Amino acid sequence: MGLEEKLPSGVLLTTVEGLAGYFRKASFWPATFGLACCAIEMMEFGAPKYDSSRFGMEVFRASPRQADLMIVAGRVSQKMAPVLRQIYDQMPGPKYVLAMGVCASSGGMFNNYAIVQGVDHIVPVDMYLPGCPPRPEMLIDAVMKLHTKIQDTKLGAHRVAEIAADEKVALEAVPTTAMKGLLR
Amino acid sequence: MTVTKGNEPGTELADQNLVTLTVDDVEVSVPEGTLVIRAAELIGVEIPRFCDHPLLAPVGACRQCLVDVPDAGNGRGFPKPQASCTLPVSPGMVVKTQVTSPVADKAQHGIMEFLLVNHPLDCPMCDKGGECPLQNQAMSHGQGETRFTEKKRTYPKPLAISSQILLDRERCILCARCTRFSEQIAGDPFIAMAERGALQQVAIYENEPFSSYFSGNTIQICPVGALTSSSYRFRSRPFDLVSTPAVAEHDACGAAIRVDHRRGKVVRRLSGDDPEVNEEWISDKDRFAFTYARQADRLTRPLVRDPETGALEPASWPAAFLAAARGLAAAAATSGVGVVTGGRLTTEDAYAYAKLARTVLGTNDIDFRARPQSAEEAEFLAHAVAGSGLGVTYRDLEEATKVVLVGLEPEDEAATIFLRLRKAWRTNGTQVVAVASHATRALEKVGGQLVRTIPGDEAKALGEAGLAPGTIVLLGERLARVEGAFTTALAAASRSGARLAWVPRRAGDRGAVEAGCLPNLLPGGRPVADAEARADLAAAWGVASLPGEPGRSTDDILAAALAGEIGALLVAGVEVDDLADPQAALDAVDAAGFVVSLEVRASAVTERADVVLPVAAVAEKAGSFVNWEGRRRPFEAVIPVPHALPDTRVLAGIAEAAGHDLGFRTPEAAAAELAEVGVWDGARAPKPEVVPGRAPRTDPSEVVLDTWRRLIDDGRGQDGDRHYQATARPSVALLSSATARAFGVREGEEIVLRTDRGAVAVPAGIADIADGVVWTPANSNGLSLLGILGAAYGAVVTVERSVPADEADALSGPPHPHVPTEEDEQ
Amino acid sequence: MATLKEQLWDPIAGFGVTFRTMFKKPVTVQYPFEKRPTAPRFHGRHQLNRWPDGLEKCIGCELCAWACPADAIFVEGASNTEDERFSPGERYGRVYQINYLRCILCGLCIEACPTRALTMTNEYELADTSRESLIFEKSDLLAPLLPGMEQPPHPLRLGDDERDYYSGQAAARAVAEGSVAAGPGGEQ
Repeated sequence: MGLEEKLPSGVLLTTVEGLAGYFRKASFWPATFGLACCAIEMMEFGAPKYDSSRFGMEVFRASPRQADLMIVAGRVSQKMAPVLRQIYDQMPGPKYVLAMGVCASSGGMFNNYAIVQGVDHIVPVDMYLPGCPPRPEMLIDAVMKLHTKIQDTKLGAHRVAEIAADEKVALEAVPTTAMKGLLR
Repeated sequence: MTVTKGNEPGTELADQNLVTLTVDDVEVSVPEGTLVIRAAELIGVEIPRFCDHPLLAPVGACRQCLVDVPDAGNGRGFPKPQASCTLPVSPGMVVKTQVTSPVADKAQHGIMEFLLVNHPLDCPMCDKGGECPLQNQAMSHGQGETRFTEKKRTYPKPLAISSQILLDRERCILCARCTRFSEQIAGDPFIAMAERGALQQVAIYENEPFSSYFSGNTIQICPVGALTSSSYRFRSRPFDLVSTPAVAEHDACGAAIRVDHRRGKVVRRLSGDDPEVNEEWISDKDRFAFTYARQADRLTRPLVRDPETGALEPASWPAAFLAAARGLAAAAATSGVGVVTGGRLTTEDAYAYAKLARTVLGTNDIDFRARPQSAEEAEFLAHAVAGSGLGVTYRDLEEATKVVLVGLEPEDEAATIFLRLRKAWRTNGTQVVAVASHATRALEKVGGQLVRTIPGDEAKALGEAGLAPGTIVLLGERLARVEGAFTTALAAASRSGARLAWVPRRAGDRGAVEAGCLPNLLPGGRPVADAEARADLAAAWGVASLPGEPGRSTDDILAAALAGEIGALLVAGVEVDDLADPQAALDAVDAAGFVVSLEVRASAVTERADVVLPVAAVAEKAGSFVNWEGRRRPFEAVIPVPHALPDTRVLAGIAEAAGHDLGFRTPEAAAAELAEVGVWDGARAPKPEVVPGRAPRTDPSEVVLDTWRRLIDDGRGQDGDRHYQATARPSVALLSSATARAFGVREGEEIVLRTDRGAVAVPAGIADIADGVVWTPANSNGLSLLGILGAAYGAVVTVERSVPADEADALSGPPHPHVPTEEDEQ
Repeated sequence: MATLKEQLWDPIAGFGVTFRTMFKKPVTVQYPFEKRPTAPRFHGRHQLNRWPDGLEKCIGCELCAWACPADAIFVEGASNTEDERFSPGERYGRVYQINYLRCILCGLCIEACPTRALTMTNEYELADTSRESLIFEKSDLLAPLLPGMEQPPHPLRLGDDERDYYSGQAAARAVAEGSVAAGPGGEQ
């Protein structure tokens, strides 16, 4: 009120968005979701050699209520899928999902009836990380790319518009099952 | 492995002269004349081979199958290893294969080394790599390491011996399977062995392409990658493909095929193996014409015409079902609905149409014959064909003393029958007689004789064909244009004891007869006119009654729609240019108040329809065809496509939206219900009684048109493969020399065939054809005779000599539509 | 009764580790800021190599796709023509896709490749935000054009036919002409 009307439009809000993004990205609270071998690399990422505390995310929370980043590390079986979704639903927003490794991202080499062919069938994924398993550097790289994405996140009405725009693009996108020639 | 009759072990084994021999210390009894290589197969020993093929005559060209014969049955052995594929068994013979004889094993290794001397090491880029008998047997019976350090013989490659077949002479191991196939099976000896010694090679005649409708089979039987196809070249590798057995959908022969697809796209089709039907051979049309379902004009979403803008708008399936159901129900309640189904339907889909028409739309106005038709034909089908089960079979053809072809050109219209007739003539001396205007090349290839006639006079000429017990008469669908032909054939057959079979042109035709897609027939061969049959079916369907009034044929339905007597049309897979009067058909579709079209690809009907429902192509659905024998040929879906529903499912959706229950939603359930409804065992429909007509009288400027569709032509089921289309034969208008002289036409000159609708210009050819008749293909090289001239078999056309200048542009007919090729698609 | 050592020394003995570590160099790698090279044979992103004249080594034989345990590679070959030549010989890979969301970087494809067209680089920073962007096309995978290389399609520059390329004469000629440094052309 008052102040932003006197300023050229957009200035103040942009600054708040930037500031909020800076704070958000600098204090991730990852939820542990180690499911398979990738989890070993994820632990390595938290251990001194790669030291995730350098990015303010050393505290892996056991409770989804206190976490805002879910690193899905490992293949998700069909039985685990509802659990994963419940944990995602219990996380407070804004929340992010990082599919770590090819199994979480697309089912990887386990193209069979037991494995969910990519966690994006269950939850929206913000960052896909290839590798089997990805080395900790690759995970750090993925987290850095996620930081960039979060830094640019909009707030308030802009965020609503951004979500609407994303939704529109997603609805018009070719479903992976219909991609001709492309590997799904 | 196909076991040909005669060599077949099993039921008749005891009756045959058995010969006992010892193979690899195992005693085995086989019929006399069996080759050693087959006797070894019976005890489970596979001798490596390349040239040997059970359906081709033995030749012993590759020498790979060498075995040691220490005793030939007379106490003496052969001094050297013998080729087991040319060696018949004899009593007391002792054979030692590579399993027990180091001599045979060493001989086979030596031959393999010889074969590989000039064989290039380009397996990674060879289309055969991964399914190559040479590759496999070099692993099992080869050295493993080469001792050959010299330079290999090379040739320029690949050599296109037709636009579809490519020859790579470096890879050839001279087994002569391709040349033997062309000579023995297809009768098109356009490839042969040329040169001698190290330079021996497969070759074509100078400037003469390998022009055969069966050329694709040589690719499949080639034991190396020497023959490959242009359209499959470098497309895929066998280990990447998913193979599904299927049935060819381009003709009524029901040939077994194998469809290979990868990542949702069919990349090739091969012949299946069904000794009772097509043995191991299929025509090029069955092999190469499969790209039609992925053309740019493929329909993917239901379309409903917007009442305000008048344009077709995409709609959801439920909305489209509802729109279709409302329009059809409104018309059914007042003026009535006509159902016109094409020949592409599976039996299950045809049954769904038949049931929908009778139960939901309350009409018998349903006809599958999207082509010139006659009431006599419908009566003939009801009397002699529907519900008659397995009648004349391929095996009967092979064993017949005489086969008479009336209104049927087997090579173009039923390729599998042609191959069987050739086999029958070659092995059994079956006499083939064609009642036609001229002897085609196909007739020569089956050693046939001609009973010359003019289109329209077949009924009269049938008497000269000499029917007797043991004769089989094959009636083609063209006879629907000949008055009295079916009546005469039925009478002649019952008089002489000959057997009759009706050979339609399309895969779904016989199935549609069985499913009751005819105005005078209900499913299972129940005549509409028979109240008992109606009551029987009504009880099976659980409805109070069925319409008892016989319906209208396709032509009458369209005429009634044009006159406003029919309010709505339900059209399935009908190409307007196939109908007797394409322009009138389009006017009828325009005039009908409400049109629902179920189609795979956009057509002239879908443009004019009010509701367009996209349906699955044959490869995308399960179902069955009934071939001309009456044999049910079921198949499974090759590639599941989520948006493509079979006609059955769509019709069930329309019925449900209209408040009815069709009783099934899937082809499987429809097939089960059709089987449960069963075949009518009551009185059959009466015989047709039509007085035979005569060929039309012609003025001096006119001739009678003789025509049929060639195997490879402009049909929309063959779109999308330019290599395949380039193998189509050029158009020609055949005239007798007397007729040509009368019109002053020389060979090769263009003549103009004209009716009041239009004109086509075709180069003239002189042939030994009946005077006053012109033959030209019905739908080749952009010239659709029905579409442009409105002239079908037996019509009268005027002949003009040359092209007047002012009409030169209008003559050529519709230009070839741009056919998207694989390259465009990517 | 605890001894004196147990009462006084043991409680603080553990801090010795902490204290000693204060004088050691930290083990933490400063990854995003300081990138240490991987082991030379690290399995990273793939690369499609070129001959010294820029022609592609890939012949589209699909053996890599066959070897792939995760079905992550899709190849479709096509014919080289005299006017449009991408590789020596008859066949080239018209479509080449690797789905990095399936690829487990096991390197079996590298072993299967008959022309050494496919090798692996040490690049590993592959994370991305969508599935489509992680399906790498041929254009993403092809090695960059080094000096002396020419963008295909172009005719054979270093020999009369493909045999010259495969027998090593092409590379020798390239070295002799000085267009490339000695060594396997284009490979890393």
